[in-house]
Amino acid sequence: MSDYGEANLSLFFFTVGGVHFAADVEQAAGMAPYSGECADDLFWFHEEFGFGKTVAYQTPVVVTIRTRDGLPYRVIIDQMEEIVEFRRDDLRLFPEILEPKVMQNGMWAVLPRHGKLVLLVDFQSLLQHSGLTVN
Amino acid sequence: MVPSTDQLKSERILDELKARQRTKEVVDVEEERVKVVIFICGANCYAFYGADIREILPTCEISWVPCLPEYLPGLINVRGDIESVIDIRHFLGEHKSSHGSCLVAMAVRGDFHSGIMIDSIEDVVDIPLNSIHPPLTTLNGIAGDLVVGEIDHCGKMVTLLDIEKLAAKITL
Repeated sequence: MSDYGEANLSLFFFTVGGVHFAADVEQAAGMAPYSGECADDLFWFHEEFGFGKTVAYQTPVVVTIRTRDGLPYRVIIDQMEEIVEFRRDDLRLFPEILEPKVMQNGMWAVLPRHGKLVLLVDFQSLLQHSGLTVN
Repeated sequence: MVPSTDQLKSERILDELKARQRTKEVVDVEEERVKVVIFICGANCYAFYGADIREILPTCEISWVPCLPEYLPGLINVRGDIESVIDIRHFLGEHKSSHGSCLVAMAVRGDFHSGIMIDSIEDVVDIPLNSIHPPLTTLNGIAGDLVVGEIDHCGKMVTLLDIEKLAAKITL
């Protein structure tokens, strides 16, 4: 965490299929360019987050997720941008009527940034809700 | 009217005043009015109660969110508040308008608040409550579930929709 302690959150930003996302850097144990490999513990972001359509990746990056139980879990994201620190007060809640569905799918808050709405994802929550097992 | 000889003038005047008062009350009851927001969606005219519509937002960017059903196209930023948007065409069986752009009516009823996509605003009018007719029995399915009644506006039939009934349809 930062010098600002609990009040701040460091987020890494990325875009998949034209949709803007961010996740807590603490959830990433490592990042590397995607080289075309396939593995049981490797998942495409759009498939994990229920895009319901195919997505063309431009600059795919593999993020190794730090899981609670230490099991390997890697997700391929796209168009990785910078890591920026934000105040937690900058985050906005999802509208109440959407909350059950988005939370179930690993999204937990919204960050208005540069005129866009960035969806905050929690890979650990997704893993927990989906009951996904990785080998 | 021939004045009754055994009635005092003051009594006659009082009777007249009371009769006038009763008439006024009847008129007031008849003229109880309600504000409605009439809008176009697809090929038809619909309305919401004005009390349920907080504001009409001009065309704004809707941020798509994965995993949501088609009738929830995403989120909008309303002066820093993040609001959902409902595509009501899904419930009304209407098709997307040819010009593509839309407005968002911000609906609020109790705990429910959400933007609702509409094609354009037709009018905002006060109408007598008794001019709301029961819904047509020909309105079946989901659209029929949302309807409060029918109103006549400038010779066109307008379907009055209930925000509360719409809110009840949003089950995730």
